[in-house]
Amino acid sequence: MAQTNLEKQLNILDYALSSLWRRRMKSLSVLLVFASVIFLLASFQMVTQALSDKAKQVLAYTPEITLQKMSAGRQEAIPLAYKDKLAGIFGIRRVVPRIWGYYFDEVLLANYTVMGMNVDEMPESARLDTALASGRMPTPDEQGRVVIGHSVKKALDLEGRNTFSFFRPNLSLKAFTVSGEFSQGTDILTNDLIIMNLADARDLYAIPAGMVTDLCVYVANPKEIDTIARKISEALPGVRVLTRPQIQKTYQVVFGWRSGFGSICLLTALAAFVILAWDKASGLSPEERREIAILKVLGWETSDILAVRFWESVIVSGLACVVGMTAAYIHVVYFAASLFRPVLMGWSVLRPDLHLLPRMAAGDILLILAFTVIPYLAATVIPAWRSATVPADSALGG
Amino acid sequence: MFLNPWSLALSLCSLVVLVLGAVAGKTAVRVLRFWEPGSDSNRQIRLENEIWLSSTLVAYGLGFQIITLILFVLAADQFCQVIVGAMCATGALLANPYGMPALLVKLFGVFFYGFWILLHQLDIRSEHYPLVRIKYLALLLLLPMLVLDVTLQTLYIAGIKPDIITSCCAVVFSDSTGGGTNLMIGYSQQSLLIAFIGSIVGLAAVGWGLLRRWRPWLAGFYAAGWFWFFGLSLVVITTVISSYVYAMPYHKCPFCILKPEYHYFGFALYGALIPAAFFGASAAVAGLVRGKVGLTEVVDGYQRLAVKLSLALLVFFSGLSFYHYLKYLISGGEG
Repeated sequence: MAQTNLEKQLNILDYALSSLWRRRMKSLSVLLVFASVIFLLASFQMVTQALSDKAKQVLAYTPEITLQKMSAGRQEAIPLAYKDKLAGIFGIRRVVPRIWGYYFDEVLLANYTVMGMNVDEMPESARLDTALASGRMPTPDEQGRVVIGHSVKKALDLEGRNTFSFFRPNLSLKAFTVSGEFSQGTDILTNDLIIMNLADARDLYAIPAGMVTDLCVYVANPKEIDTIARKISEALPGVRVLTRPQIQKTYQVVFGWRSGFGSICLLTALAAFVILAWDKASGLSPEERREIAILKVLGWETSDILAVRFWESVIVSGLACVVGMTAAYIHVVYFAASLFRPVLMGWSVLRPDLHLLPRMAAGDILLILAFTVIPYLAATVIPAWRSATVPADSALGG
Repeated sequence: MFLNPWSLALSLCSLVVLVLGAVAGKTAVRVLRFWEPGSDSNRQIRLENEIWLSSTLVAYGLGFQIITLILFVLAADQFCQVIVGAMCATGALLANPYGMPALLVKLFGVFFYGFWILLHQLDIRSEHYPLVRIKYLALLLLLPMLVLDVTLQTLYIAGIKPDIITSCCAVVFSDSTGGGTNLMIGYSQQSLLIAFIGSIVGLAAVGWGLLRRWRPWLAGFYAAGWFWFFGLSLVVITTVISSYVYAMPYHKCPFCILKPEYHYFGFALYGALIPAAFFGASAAVAGLVRGKVGLTEVVDGYQRLAVKLSLALLVFFSGLSFYHYLKYLISGGEG
């Protein structure tokens, strides 16, 4: 019983394949359009996936808690003295003051991220040098030494020389010497980054002594992050306490949101395709009517013809999925998702060269299938039934 | 949180299933009103054609519902990344009161759509279509369930509030929103395991008895036993089996076993349990319509097949569920 049933389905599959081949132009056109819709959706999904993975990797090294002083709802400089108020809280491994700002280069129209910190104070300062392609991190007593990212070097045209100057707020010039350069492996973090020591950053931005932009709190036990954050916000009201898990969640939401938004835009393409599929499946040519009529005369039942149509849809959508997803993978990996990058990434002027590596779990494939194949199958089922119920006599007699 | 690919895919699939259900429902109303088996009027011939459409639509609907069931669990697993305190799908589903009901309605929905397709398959085996009216009445009863399913799912998705840093008081120190790792506390593992093993043995014995000599009351008992076993298995998977799969005594979660980290073990486990329970229960459901014209033989054949299938799946399921447990007992757990 089961054997014959399987055999019957295999024969029907065989027939479906040959019937697709007989109408190859029609099948191919549907296949191509379907594959491109899947390509768009899958690329979008893969880029989001890869970017949020990247963000997760990056955020793994941020401090557990970041403190920023707020005034009138805006961030302002935070006094170093606040550090002392945190002394009584257990579980804090270290508090590292940091000046984090942006420098807009009016000549090159580029935005650099400037980070001023005393590198020695960071918990894993020794390992920081491994991120450098050449040179070393500036020590706190070396004035005017910086480590720069890859794009900064290109933008400032620093081949062959290693000094450059930035304007202070009062338009006087401050000179810097490049003492090291980040390797390209950390580009997503360091591409537009300039690291200098605290005193230089304070000088560049004219921040008063004893002030920094934020305090990084390193916590020994990740389970204590929330408790310590609460204690800090009780000890220092008026300070914004950002925890790493929170920032991670925000990234997830933002990427999810952007990809959802993109998917909504792509839904129009999907709708257009579904209409096309419906239309292609409904328009029965006289030959097709005759074919179905002959099959019926030969003893095929309505359910058999429905099964043929079902297998045809499955073959078309399966092939389209393979083609579309492969194309999407190539697009994301080898072309760095050039179609969608502007939508999903930030707006800073210097953009890192991204090497995205999408990670497709079975769940993601199922998601894309649900987005594309289910509407397609649903769109073809009613036309399939219409074609399957063509009365044999009318088609042959006419 | 609708602006998320998972929410969108779920909503899209539900919409498709609703449309298919509505078209099938239209046929159902017409069949209930105008079905005349003896007539050869135009309308009757059209209706006979339409029942093919509606059954195909329900079959598609069933397939899509199974996919949305999986998608729903996977989506919950994704949502947990944006919900404070949620570590996995459990936390995400408990984040608002609609998550768990939506999952349960989806799960039981799969059974009911399956029963409907069974009725249809039995029906078309007979030349007289004896079950047409029952079938379409059942279809009309399924539609509210479908609507309930979609409503709960939509309410669930709408109720998920992602945690975004918005203001200086951003540190939301909410307690983990119901996001314990344990759904069921308070059952002793020992007695649960004894009940579990006892049920397996009992079901196997009843199934074997049924294959030797068919008795309708025993079939009913078998079906009831399967429903009991289905519920019990979900509890046992959560409280006992899962922590052996994770090799962590305090990690008890029925959803994480679906993840790639655990080699998609959960799909095999649930993929054996759900069809097993379906076939076990469906033997009795098929028995209900045995008295109809021309169905006696078909039903008898199906019942034997269903019991055999359910027994085979039961063996497979027990093997899977004890695999990690025995591995732990014999080799002392993860190397």
